[in-house]
Amino acid sequence: MSEYQNLITQVQVHGPLDPGVAAEDSEWARVGKPGFISRLLGRIGDAQVGPVWLGALGIASLVFGLAAIEIMGLWFLYQVDWNFMEFIRLLPWLSLDPPSPAYGLGFPPMMEGGWWLVAGGFLTFSIILWWLRMYLRARALGLGTHVAWAFAAAIFLYLVVGFIRPILMGSWGEAVPFGLISHLHWTAGLSMRHGNLFYNPFHMLSIVFFYGSVLLFAMHAATILATAKMGGEREIDQSTDPGTAAERTMVFWRWTMGFNANMESIHRWAYWFAILTVLTGGIAIAITGPVVDNWYRWGLKHGIVPDYPDVYAAPVPAVQPGELEAPYQTAPPMTYPGLDGAAGTMGGAR
Amino acid sequence: MRWLRSKLALIAPVVVLAAAGCEVPPQDFTQTGYRGLGFEDNNNRKTVFDSAQALAARIPQTPPKIPKMEPAPPGTYENVQVLGHLSAVEFNLFMQSLVEWVAKDEGCAYCHVQTADSVNYASDANYTKLVSRRMIQMTQDINVNWSAHVGEDKGVNCWTCHQSNPLPTNYWFYTDENQPLRNYVDREGARVQGEAIFNGPGQRNRQSINQTVYTYQLMTHMSNALGVNCTYCHNSARFADWNESSPQRVTALRGLRMIRHTNMEYLVPLQDVWPENRLGPMGDGPKLQCATCHQGANLPQMGTTASHAAGWPGLTQIGYPNPPAEATDGG
Repeated sequence: MSEYQNLITQVQVHGPLDPGVAAEDSEWARVGKPGFISRLLGRIGDAQVGPVWLGALGIASLVFGLAAIEIMGLWFLYQVDWNFMEFIRLLPWLSLDPPSPAYGLGFPPMMEGGWWLVAGGFLTFSIILWWLRMYLRARALGLGTHVAWAFAAAIFLYLVVGFIRPILMGSWGEAVPFGLISHLHWTAGLSMRHGNLFYNPFHMLSIVFFYGSVLLFAMHAATILATAKMGGEREIDQSTDPGTAAERTMVFWRWTMGFNANMESIHRWAYWFAILTVLTGGIAIAITGPVVDNWYRWGLKHGIVPDYPDVYAAPVPAVQPGELEAPYQTAPPMTYPGLDGAAGTMGGAR
Repeated sequence: MRWLRSKLALIAPVVVLAAAGCEVPPQDFTQTGYRGLGFEDNNNRKTVFDSAQALAARIPQTPPKIPKMEPAPPGTYENVQVLGHLSAVEFNLFMQSLVEWVAKDEGCAYCHVQTADSVNYASDANYTKLVSRRMIQMTQDINVNWSAHVGEDKGVNCWTCHQSNPLPTNYWFYTDENQPLRNYVDREGARVQGEAIFNGPGQRNRQSINQTVYTYQLMTHMSNALGVNCTYCHNSARFADWNESSPQRVTALRGLRMIRHTNMEYLVPLQDVWPENRLGPMGDGPKLQCATCHQGANLPQMGTTASHAAGWPGLTQIGYPNPPAEATDGG
């Protein structure tokens, strides 16, 4: 096999370009030449780049995706008054925000969240088209569709935070903004708005699977690297015809923890841990708000919230009855002096 | 070792960058709540020392405090609106102090109309005099009605915020960026968590994530203003729960309410008084916030008595006008 490379050796195979096996639906030829050899990429993977199969779905996905990124980028530039240096300097803080909750699920004016809706729609189209592409390419090569379904699980979480939950809540304003810092603000805000997401059992599960995925990934990668000099990375050969590499790794894990996965099952472990991370995470977010409003209160009811002793000598009298009621309960619109009509899109939040 | 030397050019900038975000030790940690919850007060010894030195250098040289005296008789003054409860001696000492507190470099003429050969103390022609009078009223209100925040026996005086300058630091205007600060001004907008577990028909908490992020920003703002962390007031696992918050949170709540009150009652009504150059980018007048007084310390001016109102009758009770002299016989 000309493409065989050993992980231990530094040898890169630079031979004739390999077009790969023929796809079953070949009415669309591969776009471009079979590719080229990259010495740099050969250091971390296969030295051959390409051929790329783009196809109608790929092109449509890229067009929608680029349109979405374009809208975000132009909005960021608009936010800094088309000043490119400011764009670079403030890039982490710039944000294309969803419309104010006051607009509900309606289509807001373009400058008050409409562009967010358009960008989000394009991005979603792009991702779904890309998913179709992954599915069809896998089928064309006669593969199982495992990659596509794992990707679909991630898309499920994406749709929950940006589409399903906002619809259940009745407001696009609940969705995630497009911005580096602002989406972190959304994450913190979601947790605090609903009384600490860590008390959400599905969130707990998601964390378990997430850390579990990391652990499995590290254990598996380490095991294979440790047996590379015995051909351990040829996992398919090893699973059908266990050689000394597989034998030794299994003994190693039985020695150290009494149990071992085998060359096939370890991949199912990793696959399901990864997928369940986003599936349970998606459930956690979808019920936060539409069903459970305050996870802290939920945790209190079900006894998972620790009880701390009252250690304060309380030199200040506790908050008095009625003191939490406000004397200034006016509406929060843009009616401040000088602010008429000049407020930003985030003004009417409430 | 050779490896280290060869990579030094790479490692050194990283180390320098990482260290640049740090303070010089030692740090002092004081536990302020139940163990394991991060309830602690962190202070950098050097920062505190430097702050104390800077504070000592700017303490105002006010006249001595004197025992309380009887109010000046009617007709003593022509246009005294809010300090009629002072004796003439107290009044003069207070005016001297005002200069020290607010207009050290500018002097009496910052507020009072000064002509070539005389000063017209009664004139209200300068906008600064109108603002000063309103601010004196505000300080009286704070010391009398908001002692739950500023302390029964302490209170605040003009210097607490002004630090001898006509403009205190950290005042603010409306901008698109400081929308969260508007929570200070006109509404009780900080609470977003509901009391119920479930959402459903007839029971729906409508606070948005948007509003929650505002609250977060407001809280970060307070944290910066006071130089404290979240756990100075909150159990961070359950921010909303009053039962597990420190007593400081109640003080802070009253502080927020006080700021809302003072902004709405004293600063916003000055809108028509401000000249053009005192207005913000959106045309509104300056407003105060936590940092205006606290300036990074949980006790303003590190709690020095020079920042207290005690001993200044001009600030510790609600003032009234000096009445005009009664009509004299034969007039």
